[in-house]
Amino acid sequence: MSEIKLLSSDQATITVQKEVAERSILIKNMLEDVGEVTEAIPIPNVNESVLKKVIEWCEHHKGDPPAQADDDSDSRKKSTDIDEWDQKFMQVDQEMLFEIILAANYLDIKPLLDVGCKTVANMIKGKSPDEIRKTFNIQNDFTPEEEEQIRRENEWAEE
Amino acid sequence: MFYCPFFPPFAEIFATILEYLPVADLLRFARVSRRMQEMVYDDTRWVYRLRLMGVWNETEARKRFEEAMKRRRATMAAAAKAQESALSAATAAAGGDRSSTIFDATEEETRARRPVSDGLDMMAPLKAELPPLQRASLRDPASLLLVLPSVKSVRGFARQEYGRVYGALAPLYFDLAKAKTHTDPVVFRIFRDPEQQARMLAQMRVFALSDTAYGFGERRERLNLMAGIFENAALREFEGGYESGDIDGRMKRYANVLILLNGGQACVQLFVQKHPVTFEREKLGNPMDSFDKPTPGQFSLAPSATFFDRLSKVINEQASVIDRVFPPHVNVMLPFLERVSEDVIAEYITPILEEAHERDTEMYLKAVAGIYTQCINFARTLTPTKGYSADTDLWAQDVRAVVGRVWESHVDLYLSDELEWFRKRGETEVERWEKKILDADAATESFFMSNINREADKRDFLSTFKKVILMPVSVIPSPFARNSVQVLPPKTEAATAAVETSPYAGTTTTMEAASAGTVGPPPTTELAAKAAIMNSRLEGIRSLFSLEVALSLVHNAKESLERAALFARSGGQTGEEAKEQCEAIFIALLQVLGPRHVKAGFDKAVEHLKAYDPRTVTQHNRVAPLVTFLELVNVGDLIQQMIDVFYEQELVAGKLTDRNDFLNPAAKEKKRFEQMLDERVAAGLNMGIDVLMDEVDHIFATTQQPADFNPGVLNGVGGGVGGGGGVGGEAAMVDFDIGPSRTAVQVVEVVSGHTKLLVGSTDKNVLDVFNQEVGVRLFASLCKHIKRQRISVDGAIKLISDMNHYHAYITTLKIKALDAYFNALRELSQIYLIDPGHARQMATVIADPARFGGIFRVEEVYEYATRREDWYRVKKEVERAMYGIGCVVC
Repeated sequence: MSEIKLLSSDQATITVQKEVAERSILIKNMLEDVGEVTEAIPIPNVNESVLKKVIEWCEHHKGDPPAQADDDSDSRKKSTDIDEWDQKFMQVDQEMLFEIILAANYLDIKPLLDVGCKTVANMIKGKSPDEIRKTFNIQNDFTPEEEEQIRRENEWAEE
Repeated sequence: MFYCPFFPPFAEIFATILEYLPVADLLRFARVSRRMQEMVYDDTRWVYRLRLMGVWNETEARKRFEEAMKRRRATMAAAAKAQESALSAATAAAGGDRSSTIFDATEEETRARRPVSDGLDMMAPLKAELPPLQRASLRDPASLLLVLPSVKSVRGFARQEYGRVYGALAPLYFDLAKAKTHTDPVVFRIFRDPEQQARMLAQMRVFALSDTAYGFGERRERLNLMAGIFENAALREFEGGYESGDIDGRMKRYANVLILLNGGQACVQLFVQKHPVTFEREKLGNPMDSFDKPTPGQFSLAPSATFFDRLSKVINEQASVIDRVFPPHVNVMLPFLERVSEDVIAEYITPILEEAHERDTEMYLKAVAGIYTQCINFARTLTPTKGYSADTDLWAQDVRAVVGRVWESHVDLYLSDELEWFRKRGETEVERWEKKILDADAATESFFMSNINREADKRDFLSTFKKVILMPVSVIPSPFARNSVQVLPPKTEAATAAVETSPYAGTTTTMEAASAGTVGPPPTTELAAKAAIMNSRLEGIRSLFSLEVALSLVHNAKESLERAALFARSGGQTGEEAKEQCEAIFIALLQVLGPRHVKAGFDKAVEHLKAYDPRTVTQHNRVAPLVTFLELVNVGDLIQQMIDVFYEQELVAGKLTDRNDFLNPAAKEKKRFEQMLDERVAAGLNMGIDVLMDEVDHIFATTQQPADFNPGVLNGVGGGVGGGGGVGGEAAMVDFDIGPSRTAVQVVEVVSGHTKLLVGSTDKNVLDVFNQEVGVRLFASLCKHIKRQRISVDGAIKLISDMNHYHAYITTLKIKALDAYFNALRELSQIYLIDPGHARQMATVIADPARFGGIFRVEEVYEYATRREDWYRVKKEVERAMYGIGCVVC
């Protein structure tokens, strides 16, 4: 089993099995284009700790069947649930969570991105707008009247 | 914690996150900030949900959008115009520009302030169309029932539309998903009516499709479970109604409920399954009744006819029940028919066919065709249900397809049997005939020459044949046949019944017996009569092949084709196969008729021709085998025309084959048959010419008297050759008959007698080639003949009249190429007429190639000149004139 090296944004080199690294479509495509590489592949957008976390996820999921090319709405629908290991894996601080999601997006690891999004969705669920703002540190740029209007507009959705 | 996740790539990710949120959370999220609201309100998100439910109609949306744009443009143009006129009155052009900028800026501002309709203000006119958005309340259950069908596809308002649906259905849906037992859910408490409950459940099923949030699988399962329980209950009610015969009450009601719920497949199934017709099959008829009923060993179609009659009645009764129970848009009749045909018809016919197959092939074939027709007619007697009332063609098509399916398993066997049977029958027929001929000793070859106008006879025969072919062979009597063709009343020509001994005259009678005698006598009577007449005229060739056999073969083929064609009309895969089989039958007909029968006949005739030796025959009017052969050509031609008519009428007119498809096996085989016939004719004619010329040569050799062209020889026999010159004048007195010699008359008679036989029986081209060949060969024979003669000046007159006689005959053939030869011969015969005293003139004639039209060279003419009786006296003079004085070159 061949191994390759990855270079994080903070210049840390991480050695990883090729098979594991290829969970990332970005790296996979790159390796296909370039062929054999000896020096470390730079991953400029991801720092060491995040990269390690991502690789950890990839290690665990290396045996998964590859995602279908046309996984649009349907396959996303069929996997709304998050498996236990992933739930535990995602129990990180919020900054790390977003970093992982961004890294997954950048490295093109769709399943990981989905898990991340679901985790965030679960965080939003059941919270009031205020709580959401607090959680995600978002500034409220509505006037109270405006906010009230939106609430009235969407009254139908309240249970 | 400080983290702002809203740099560009993250916005995209957030859009994905939103997909996983339940609707309630999603809209609460919209209240967080403008940015979030924009994301949540994005129309595509809501269109997507509507689309999941299958209620979004893109074309409708586009149409609305375009209409709205048009209206907006119109109002804008009007506004601009008003503004312009106002401005031009008040301020300068520059001021106008400025004001419009201000206008833009203010608009931007309003837009920013009213983000609710951000980017959608141009849809403003659309708003009027929509009913005011209100929360469909549980207090007004009736409005809930129609919430899904009322959804409109309007761009920019997908969220509102979804909101209406959600408001109506979501509470009930989530409630149902949480319910423990089937009595819990609110939906069953609000709606008491089973119809309403069914409708709501159906709507919720659709709504569930738009539920993509966490845990939707379980909710959907739950919903299906509830719907299942509900369906079962409704089905039980339906069944109860069925058993108590409450057609217009419970059955109708619960059928409707089930259709509202999920299209009602379950109750259609139940209805079809429970029908007693499948269990009471025995009442309709016993398959074995078809056998041995009138007399043992016979097969009758009457019992199956009653069977189909009864079945048709039962089904038509059922059709009215279906009309009462089910609404027209649910097709119950078809599944019902499918089941009936599978369980009743198939079960009925299979034993019949199996039994018939075991007993006798012919019986089997007739049973298949007969029952199949009954089946098709049966299909026609069924009345369409209401659902089909608008499209009876579709009905007929569907029913035919269902009934046709029953036959699928039988058709293959049937078709191959049909072909096999036909082939065998044809072969045995030919064999039987061959044996008969062999027994009758073919050696007694009487030739029969009648002076009847053959052409007219043939035309007559062919037209009769055509008539008969066109008439339907009534193999399949049918009590259903409302529009069956009434067979014409017996022909007056039945008077010629004496000839009705032909073997096929009685073939159709057994079947007709079953049809209560409504069908007239076999339409073959007239044809049979004509065939017999024809046959007696063609007695001469009866040992070679028989027109009668050919006719009966064609008749058999027609019978088989007619049966197989029934299936060809059913269309589809079966139809294609049947068509192929029809072609195969035709091919088999040609093969039996061609190589087996006709070719053998021709070969035999050619052999006879070959064996002909004129020296052994005493009478020399006719070359017997050639006459026979030419008659054969006639009959062969007749058969070919018959086949052609058959092909046109049966296969092409019946659309069983494509005439223009040159790769088609039937067309190819037909061509091969014709080719074979032509080849045989050509070979025979070739041989015939040889024989004819042999005969001519024989006549020349035996009948031409030496005195014919040299009258002097009669006296000179005793007087010696030396005194020949002196007797010339005397001899002229002996025979002053100017007509042609007897030999010439006889030769012309023989030749013309044979060539005439061919007229009208073969192709004009073949005939011309034949005549030309005869002419050329006759010419060659004549040349040889002249060279054998010794001709005196007196005899020359005879020779010239002979040549004129030949020439006259040749001109009747109307072949240009031959005229030159015989003209040359006439010219040639002149050289014998020249008096020995004019040797020099003779030399000029001999040396003038133009005189003979290039047919004879000078040397040849010279050679002929040597046949002059007085040649040795004039030779010197002539040669001197030709080579000595006359020739300037040497």
